[in-house]
Amino acid sequence: MNFKIFQDKIVIDRVANELDDFVIRFCDILNKIRINYVIVSGYVSILFGRSRLSEDVDLLLEKINFDDFRKLWNSLSGGYECIQIKAPEIAYQDYLMENTAIRFCRKGQVIPNFEIKFPKDEIDLWTIEHRQLVLFNKNILYISPIELQIPFKLFLGSEKDIEDAKHLYSLLRKYLNIELLNKFINAFNMNEGFDRYLK
Amino acid sequence: MKLPKIDLEELTKFKEKNFKERLEFIEFYTDWLKKKNKL
Repeated sequence: MNFKIFQDKIVIDRVANELDDFVIRFCDILNKIRINYVIVSGYVSILFGRSRLSEDVDLLLEKINFDDFRKLWNSLSGGYECIQIKAPEIAYQDYLMENTAIRFCRKGQVIPNFEIKFPKDEIDLWTIEHRQLVLFNKNILYISPIELQIPFKLFLGSEKDIEDAKHLYSLLRKYLNIELLNKFINAFNMNEGFDRYLK
Repeated sequence: MKLPKIDLEELTKFKEKNFKERLEFIEFYTDWLKKKNKL
């Protein structure tokens, strides 16, 4: 894997696997219809070369109105389907607006899938606002700032999450905004976890 | 850069809700596999 970190973007070049192709194609649709989103959690580590599988990719979508959501739904309906419900009105009102995720997969496949949510709090809004542009094999993706991902993964706290945090920190520490990282570590009360697992 | 407000109590609730949703999805997925006769 080759990667370069610039002020305004991250460039990653590596051999794409099946999950990567799924992510690239799905995000290409979001990019084309100009809906703001950010990929968070496990796939961020996988994108940076962490060797593990994932059944789902977590994605925060800006809080759009129903007309725009219907456009998104229709744009996805050629190759993807929502796993839980078939009616966009219910997906929007009873799931997204109630802070419950909807899952989109390739038609008839279930896994992998995108787990999509609207922002539920200030952290989610901040993540969308400060999303980072990634050119992955020249394809556009947007991911969460790493300085937030590392302490958030420590906060989640499973073995898999801590390993994700370790991978990101070990790989990217010299490129990180350490002041920002430390602020988030303090805010998540993860000083002990950081010292124990990442230092 | 201004940090967002971080409410650890609310985030803990979110973590539990998210975990429950994932368990529900696993149940859905295993049912799907059985129906497709993949197990």
